[in-house]
Amino acid sequence: MSETLIPTTTDHLSAVQAAVADALGIDASEAVPEATLLGELGAESIDLLDILFRLERATKVKITISDIADLLQGGIPDEEFGDENEVVNDRGLTHLESVLPQFDRSRLDEPLTAEGVLGLFTVQNLTDLLTERAQAAASA
Amino acid sequence: MKLKDRTALVTGASRGIGRAIALALAEQGAAVAVNYRSRREEALAVVKEIEAAGGRAVAVGADVSDPQQAKRLAEEATAGLGSLNILVNNAGISDDGLIYDAAPNAWWNVMKVNFGGAYHTTHAVMDQFMAQGEASIVNISSAMGERGWIGQSNYSASKGALNSFTRCAAIELARFGVRVNAVLAGFTPTELVEEVFQRDGGKSIKRQIPLRRFATVEQVAAAAVFLAGPDSGYTTGELLTVDGGFSAQLGIGRP
Repeated sequence: MSETLIPTTTDHLSAVQAAVADALGIDASEAVPEATLLGELGAESIDLLDILFRLERATKVKITISDIADLLQGGIPDEEFGDENEVVNDRGLTHLESVLPQFDRSRLDEPLTAEGVLGLFTVQNLTDLLTERAQAAASA
Repeated sequence: MKLKDRTALVTGASRGIGRAIALALAEQGAAVAVNYRSRREEALAVVKEIEAAGGRAVAVGADVSDPQQAKRLAEEATAGLGSLNILVNNAGISDDGLIYDAAPNAWWNVMKVNFGGAYHTTHAVMDQFMAQGEASIVNISSAMGERGWIGQSNYSASKGALNSFTRCAAIELARFGVRVNAVLAGFTPTELVEEVFQRDGGKSIKRQIPLRRFATVEQVAAAAVFLAGPDSGYTTGELLTVDGGFSAQLGIGRP
């Protein structure tokens, strides 16, 4: 077996930025780490799918939308993640703070709904997930 | 050979148009998974014919109207031949009769195979197609999906659904380098349309077709090979009619 090169985090960031730029038709420099994909960059669900498949082709690491959803929800059942109006509750918010380093509930302008959770996901969050998956694959 | 290093799955390929497509794809160098539902021997004969000509093929049994079986079909075809990059949704049935006296479930059985089969099999291959970023899906449909015919209401509706699905799948998958097109066959003498020809051997229909002859399965297959291969690289969401000019015509095209 030849030695496998494990890409550095910087490579992963540029891979994500290139995938985002190509999928959304924007300049890679606009895909800054702190930009939210569905929010600030305006990605639709098919754009997110496009980004993930571009990443897969470029890095051979497969990340699915349900991987992202699982990360964000952390296996917490729907009814324990939010209240009856699907507003994310304390347990949900605590989990989000643990998986999204930039997330701070005190800076929310309005109550966070289950639907809005995916909108918190940033270029950096996707990069971190990619790095984690690549490392898991390399050590497997 | 235009399809060297390509791998195709053709549903309903034990006979008729599907068989002709499997052979034509193999002739262009593609490895072919020959799907059948019940006609194993005939499917194995198609595999044998491809192998005798120096090609690669496997036969895989599955009823594509069942999503689990369609999934297993894609898995077994991939295991047998390697990553797939061409899918031809050809499997189809008919259950003709007047709406007035058709069995209540006739439409559902036809819809489940003709539209459901294409839907399930497309779903079963799409992840690997999207990951490759270069693949082609060809739906074998019918000119009947765009026009009416007495006694073919459920068949026509199922092909109309397949035509709409072709367009929607084409635009959803374009981003991933996957093209989706359909061949709208006209009257093609196969076992499927036997009933249509019963009355007078098809003479009265033939008189209405501008080209004055029925399609051969090879002519329909040639259109499918074109849509599967590199010559149609910028074509997606297209319904390619192969009907001898029948549906170009208004009425019978003359007084």
